[in-house]
Amino acid sequence: MSQWLADVIDRAGSVQDWLSPVRGEALATLQNQQWPGRRTEAWRYTSLHPFDALLAQPGSTSVQVDSREFAIEGLESLDLVFVNGELHTDIGSLSLPAGLSISALDQPTDNARSVAGQVFTQVKPERHLFGLVNDVLATSGVIIDIADGASVETPVRVINLVTDKVESHNRVLVRLGKQATATVIEHGSGDGASMNTAFAEYQLGYEARLEHYRFALHSADAIHIGGSHFQMGEKSRLNSTLVGYGSQLSRLDVDIHHAGEHAFAKFNNIYLLAENEHFDLHSTIEHAVPNGTTEENARGIVGDNAKAVFNGRIHIHPDAQKTLAELNNRNLLLSRRGQINTKPELEIYADDVQCAHGATVAEIDDEALYYMLSRGISRSQALVMLNFGFVQELIEQMPNKALRDWLQPKLKTRFEGMEVK
Amino acid sequence: MSEQIEQAIARKYDAGFVSEVESDTFAVGLDESVIRRISAMKNEPEWMLEWRLKAYRSWLKMDEPDWAHVDYPKIDFQSISYYSAPKSMKDKPKSLDEVDPELLRTYEKLGIPLHEQEMLAGVAVDAVFDSVSVVTTFRAKLEEAGVIFCPISEAIQKYPDLVKKYLGTVVPQRDNYFAALNSAVFTDGSFVYIPKGTRCPMELSTYFRINELNTGQFERTLIVAEEGSYVSYLEGCTAPQRDENQLHAAVVELVAMDDSEIKYSTVQNWYPGDENGKGGIYNFVTKRGLAETNAKISWTQVETGSAITWKYPSCILKGDNSVGEFYSVALTRGRQQADTGTKMIHMGKNTRSTIISKGISAGHSSNAYRGLVRMGPNADGARNFTECDSLLIGDKCGAHTFPYIESRNPSAIVEHEATTSKVSDDQLFLCRQRGLDPEKAVSMIVNGFCKEVFKELPMEFAVEAGKLLEISLEGSVG
Amino acid sequence: MMLSIKDLHASIDGKEILKGLNLDIKPGEVHAIMGPNGAGKSTLGYVLSGRDGYQADSGTAQFNGADLFDLEVEERAQAGLFLAFQYPVEIPGVSNMEFMKESVNAIREKRGDDPLSASDFLKKAKEACKQVDLPLAFLKRGVNEGFSGGEKKRNEIMQMILLEPKLCILDESDSGLDVDALQVVANGVNSQRDGKRSFIVVTHYQRLLDYIEPDYVHILADGKIVKSGDASLAKEVEKTGYAWLGAKAEEADA
Ligand SMILES: Nc1ncnc2c1ncn2[C@@H]1O[C@H](COP(=O)(O)OP(=O)(O)O)[C@@H](O)[C@H]1O
Ligand SMILES: [Mg+2]
Repeated sequence: MSQWLADVIDRAGSVQDWLSPVRGEALATLQNQQWPGRRTEAWRYTSLHPFDALLAQPGSTSVQVDSREFAIEGLESLDLVFVNGELHTDIGSLSLPAGLSISALDQPTDNARSVAGQVFTQVKPERHLFGLVNDVLATSGVIIDIADGASVETPVRVINLVTDKVESHNRVLVRLGKQATATVIEHGSGDGASMNTAFAEYQLGYEARLEHYRFALHSADAIHIGGSHFQMGEKSRLNSTLVGYGSQLSRLDVDIHHAGEHAFAKFNNIYLLAENEHFDLHSTIEHAVPNGTTEENARGIVGDNAKAVFNGRIHIHPDAQKTLAELNNRNLLLSRRGQINTKPELEIYADDVQCAHGATVAEIDDEALYYMLSRGISRSQALVMLNFGFVQELIEQMPNKALRDWLQPKLKTRFEGMEVK
Repeated sequence: MSEQIEQAIARKYDAGFVSEVESDTFAVGLDESVIRRISAMKNEPEWMLEWRLKAYRSWLKMDEPDWAHVDYPKIDFQSISYYSAPKSMKDKPKSLDEVDPELLRTYEKLGIPLHEQEMLAGVAVDAVFDSVSVVTTFRAKLEEAGVIFCPISEAIQKYPDLVKKYLGTVVPQRDNYFAALNSAVFTDGSFVYIPKGTRCPMELSTYFRINELNTGQFERTLIVAEEGSYVSYLEGCTAPQRDENQLHAAVVELVAMDDSEIKYSTVQNWYPGDENGKGGIYNFVTKRGLAETNAKISWTQVETGSAITWKYPSCILKGDNSVGEFYSVALTRGRQQADTGTKMIHMGKNTRSTIISKGISAGHSSNAYRGLVRMGPNADGARNFTECDSLLIGDKCGAHTFPYIESRNPSAIVEHEATTSKVSDDQLFLCRQRGLDPEKAVSMIVNGFCKEVFKELPMEFAVEAGKLLEISLEGSVG
Repeated sequence: MMLSIKDLHASIDGKEILKGLNLDIKPGEVHAIMGPNGAGKSTLGYVLSGRDGYQADSGTAQFNGADLFDLEVEERAQAGLFLAFQYPVEIPGVSNMEFMKESVNAIREKRGDDPLSASDFLKKAKEACKQVDLPLAFLKRGVNEGFSGGEKKRNEIMQMILLEPKLCILDESDSGLDVDALQVVANGVNSQRDGKRSFIVVTHYQRLLDYIEPDYVHILADGKIVKSGDASLAKEVEKTGYAWLGAKAEEADA
């Protein structure tokens, strides 16, 4: 048992707010949790060692935020800025489009309370230790509600900035009503040896459509543990892209739960790791009802001493007939000191389904390389093009052009900094 | 249609009879004195006893693993008898004529005549009945080629240096819970030694039979292939139909020296229990091979029996250019649970591995593939290809795939693919339109699904495996 | 009478597709069935052979005196009914050879004949392949596995030759074939005409009927036979198309 966890449990005792009844249940579960070790399957490849020498302390420091740092050219978004877990945006001053309501977690409107009742800890009932920590400690956050039939064009961006030596926790709760449409961006970034947990829960109503992005671009010595969890209503559609850099310890859990029939989920995910970065993505696709579709693509490039962990689980429940679920994970390892650990999993209890997964760890296609060389491209240039082309494909699938244009050169620069043999 | 498929897969177990032989059986229970008695029964040298005791002491401190996708009540290791042998085997029969005819009849009934003249000419057999080897055929012929093929208990006496040199080198005593238990209490199994540059002139095979009630079978097999040699080995397993669960915890070690090749095939048909999950063998097996430079180890398994299968025949590809293969068909029905797969540990340069796994689940069964492919930092140019296909028959069963891929080498290539499917109505309709009954049609489609694996079996056994699957699928379509 | 269908109504998923179809076929006759897409031609073949989901709601079909709808799919096949599929399915890993051997012997067993020996079977299989110009290698390949469209069609005819059925229903065995392949298929069929064996040749185009001369031609539209005639009817259809049917079918419904 870690000292840090004992301390968390201690601190949780003094959290008193309107969510206390639910937090209390989470705390009870948390108290019975073991500190994950090597033998804990979900943490098999991710060591929690960084917690032993944790520099981050709870509490806020006054930080000036330069909003230009987060500006994305061409992106007209509604920004909600968290700094070290505290909301710095005055929600009252925002002019919100029709059908969109946003409430701070610590100042909920009646409607926000009812949304939280349906969403908070409800979208993902089984949470790991750090999910529970977030349940009990995240007193700041936002509750976003998109009314039935509302089509919100402006992307809502939740910026989550963390700074050196600070521990923080925040939570995002989103409900999309019947036939509602929205775009939500979770944009996490930070400096120094921060420690942050950030979890988001999304409930998609009948025929709701959500375009979702999560950028986990933390600094190398950060600890970042978070997740985005989706509950898919009947005929709802999700298009989600996650991009991660990795850090001293980065762990993200993405869960897509098909609760209503005929839902469609597409989840793409890119990780680009260098130096000593560690990135761990666990995705869990639950098909609890018939006729759902999921397409998942995860692609990663690992250089230097970095380590990638990917665990992609597809679980087809006994009645989920006619499910289509596919997962594809492709990895490139650029360095002898790097490591890739991948585990796609299928757990299937229905026979009339089409499920498949594939995973590869490989160097680039020799034939493609030869082809490029024969066209006069230099070897090093060809390698960069081929390697990067591999994640480029997923960037191109992002529906939002401003985000594509912003991310593409950013990732490319990062990639070019990595050594390609 | 699916109803007909389900009926087609209901099956009878052919090997479920009990042989009426009088046996000397230890009282149930396990402690150091039991291990001393086993060692004494086998006339073992002191070092062997010490080795066993060391394993036992480790085992006491270990925990039963619980990570596999299987569910069974806790095994009471004190309610098992650790040794049982037919009384008639006490005075070590010198020839087949001295062997109790009831024992010979048992093997005949299983389709394995032990008289050399009646056997398949190219196959030598070691027949293990409960805790002892009944007979090993064609020994003279093998000896001419310098090949040693004998019960391991005999090898400990006759070739102590060889056994000492290799036993426990691939599967250490403390490797895992069941391997430690086996190291402490193993009774019989086969020992194979192929000298340098020798191509074993016959197929070697061992038939394991559990007969006695409440006994566990703990066999130990060790195969050593010296430089440039080749051997193909097959094991078959059956047990009577009983309401009690019985434990089978085996260890198999393969040592493949430079340029050698070992082909190891298993047709496992232990009693699976009845359709409600009563009875059946708990099959917890550790199989592993070590491949030196340019060596090749190929595992082929057809797993149709056992209530629980926990088994991961693995290859440590230590030498450069060594090759590992794993071809598996696992069929579960009724309440059977299988968690099986392989580990390919690539250490040497340009090592290659191929994994083809075909899982068929029916009834209320659960069938999981679990595999590990590890590319070590020195495995330059290594390659793995894995294909895992699951076939589900009916909507009450489960099919699972848990592949672990770990790579630490940028020039290594790993490719893994997994799919699930069912016997499609269209395929079934085509077969029936051509006059085949649903039972035949299903068995044919399932056989086709397994084709890639069956073609890896030695010819003599491919037919047997196909038949076994057919029997397994055969049932009571009225 | 070999086959006698009376007032057959059949449905898929509760939707009525065949709406009172009558057809009589005597031994040795060749009947062509033509008609627009979606008329129910394939449905007729499936209902007769007993495919799941193709439900005969009323009417009868007598096949050599037995009530077809009382029999299981394989019993109909064993009684001598053969369907060459419009879209043959693949069965990976099961070789054409073992598939056909099992079929031939299942049908022989029903007739009370001994199973064919491996060598006798092989001889016949080779012969059948030759007749449809299919390389022998196809016997070893998985059933339809990776076959081209034309190869699949030829493979169906090869199976028909081997199984020696009494009534052959060919569902668009000509579609997707070039002229040479068409000729091969037609020759295969013609070689099996022996005065006793009967055929239902479902086709979209008159083309095939230049090679397989039918005794009767029927036009199937909206689940019924709306017109019957001799071979000249097919030529007429070739010229006028099926447009005239629209009006006619509506008339008939009214
Ligand atoms: N599996 C099915 N489910 C529902 N409708 C079907 C199915 N198969 C065929 N149909 C419908 O039945 C009608 C007849 O189809 P079919 O017999 O294939 O026509 P044809 O072979 O004459 O082109 C069409 O309207 C078609 O859409
Ligand atoms: Mg048709």
